[in-house]
Amino acid sequence: MATMMHTHAQSKETGLTRARHHLGRFLVYFLLILGLSMTLMPFVWMILASFKTQTELIRVPPTFWPENPILDNYRTILQDPKIPLLRFYGNSAFVAIINVLTTLFTSSLLGYLFAKYEFRGKRIFFGWFMLGMMIPSQMTMIPGYLILAKVGLLNTLWGLVVFSAMDAFGLFMLRQFIETLPNELLDAARIDGASEWQIYWRIVLPQLGPALATLGTLNFMGNWNNYLWPMVVITKVERRTLPVILTWYNSQHSERQNIVMAATVLVVIPVLFVYFFFQRWIVRGFTMSGLK
Amino acid sequence: MKRRRGGLAAGQHRFILSVTIPTILYGSVGILTTGWALALMFFKYSPGRAGGPILGLGGSNPFVGLEHFRNMINGVSLEARLFRTSLKNTLIFAFAVLPLNLAITLPLAALIESVSGRLKIAFRAIYFLPVVTVAVGVANMWGYLYDPQQGLFNVIIRLFGGTPIAWLSDPRAQFLGVSVGMWATIAAYLWSDYGYNLVIFIAALQGIPKDFKEAAMIDGANAWQVFTRVTVPLLRPTLLFVCVMTMLSSFQVFDIIQVMTQGGPNNQTRVLVLDIYENAFRYQRMGWAAAIGFVLAVLVMVITVVQMRLLRTEWEY
Repeated sequence: MATMMHTHAQSKETGLTRARHHLGRFLVYFLLILGLSMTLMPFVWMILASFKTQTELIRVPPTFWPENPILDNYRTILQDPKIPLLRFYGNSAFVAIINVLTTLFTSSLLGYLFAKYEFRGKRIFFGWFMLGMMIPSQMTMIPGYLILAKVGLLNTLWGLVVFSAMDAFGLFMLRQFIETLPNELLDAARIDGASEWQIYWRIVLPQLGPALATLGTLNFMGNWNNYLWPMVVITKVERRTLPVILTWYNSQHSERQNIVMAATVLVVIPVLFVYFFFQRWIVRGFTMSGLK
Repeated sequence: MKRRRGGLAAGQHRFILSVTIPTILYGSVGILTTGWALALMFFKYSPGRAGGPILGLGGSNPFVGLEHFRNMINGVSLEARLFRTSLKNTLIFAFAVLPLNLAITLPLAALIESVSGRLKIAFRAIYFLPVVTVAVGVANMWGYLYDPQQGLFNVIIRLFGGTPIAWLSDPRAQFLGVSVGMWATIAAYLWSDYGYNLVIFIAALQGIPKDFKEAAMIDGANAWQVFTRVTVPLLRPTLLFVCVMTMLSSFQVFDIIQVMTQGGPNNQTRVLVLDIYENAFRYQRMGWAAAIGFVLAVLVMVITVVQMRLLRTEWEY
């Protein structure tokens, strides 16, 4: 108490700034939580609607919490006689996994080549990739479609794979990573008689763990969320990927928003789970990539 | 260790060849598609017609020279007018998204940066959620928020006794000279996208030495002055990067609009990529669509080159 009196006398002014400081803190948290609720609100509204009955949904004024939460909406989607949703996870996973594996392979191999070897035409080669990165896919998708039509890959999942084996961004990213590996390490292996392929496979690749994880998750999500190209390539309903089939449910149940929301939950939420597990890598990958 | 003088060992040579040759072969598909796209835009091309011997060009898919581009500038046909509408809408969209995005993300990043470690990570993680959400999912969620009867926005409006708005379907509703449908898609897009710039700004803010801010504080600057006079100037390289990336992605917007409005009402949210998609794959006017694709590519490349020029200046601190 005595000390308090003491300090009080000496710091009328700091008391004031402290009050202002507290007010400032309060304001900061207030704004952050406001922003947070605006970020979460569409998710919440979707999830709540997916448990509501149709009669509850169209009631005025509407309810916030579902009065009698039901699972029927999910059942309708999962047990759709023609188009059960689960099959489409398989389609999406197939495309995403193959594209991730091929991209990781080519990016690391070419990254290694560009980082550790000198050869004629290297700069031209590199410039070519740069240029390729700048050309928007919306321009090349028309010839891409025509090629797929010619070789009979329209309406197949392979059509979503064949053009995606190489990724210029992944190449640049892994090249930067591999440049930091000491040459001594590679030369030592060479002296021990390792071939160049063995060096790539046994020495370079194992060093790339975090970079591969970042690139892989990024690439996976990009493929998983891809919409325009799969819609162009695949018109057979049962071969579609998740985002495209989601729009099919929209058209089937356009008057039943609770069912549409249930389908949306089923498509959106798994990705968010993956996101929470790999959050660090994903966020880092996005900031590094400058790509979406 | 020295690189071997007088050329590489035979094994390394073989390795280089065994990687580059397949890469060149595979990469030449990219050259083919690009060249093909560039050729298509000088033809009237539909995949349904047989056409000439090379890539189906010529014959019943006639060469028309620059007609598509003349048509874009002063054609009176429906597709020419739709193109101009799409271009205009794309520009409106991009130039509205950019400042709004910055106005949200920059202050928000500074706020998040100012809270303590663990909380910061939690905030960042949650604000990033919409970025990793499937765009079609975003469109569905927002389409439902905008629903004239059941949507949250009209529910709130009704609660306060206002008149509900047909957000995505009223062609006459306007705000600041831009249709409400366009604003509605802009809002949905902003929501789905701001976490991205936010994370970049947070990372950049962490890179600014504390001494700078403290020095300014000691000189009597308040928090706002520190932010505008110290922080923002130091963020300039990041700011440029973010501006360009935001521009590029908003020029290429498609998913949200295609699902939420299909370009409506009355083509007020029709954008370039939607125009390309519909012309190429719905109406089979692939030559015309390729020409529009070229316009988009030029826009994108101009922005990219400007970015590279601007980013060449490195700031040191």
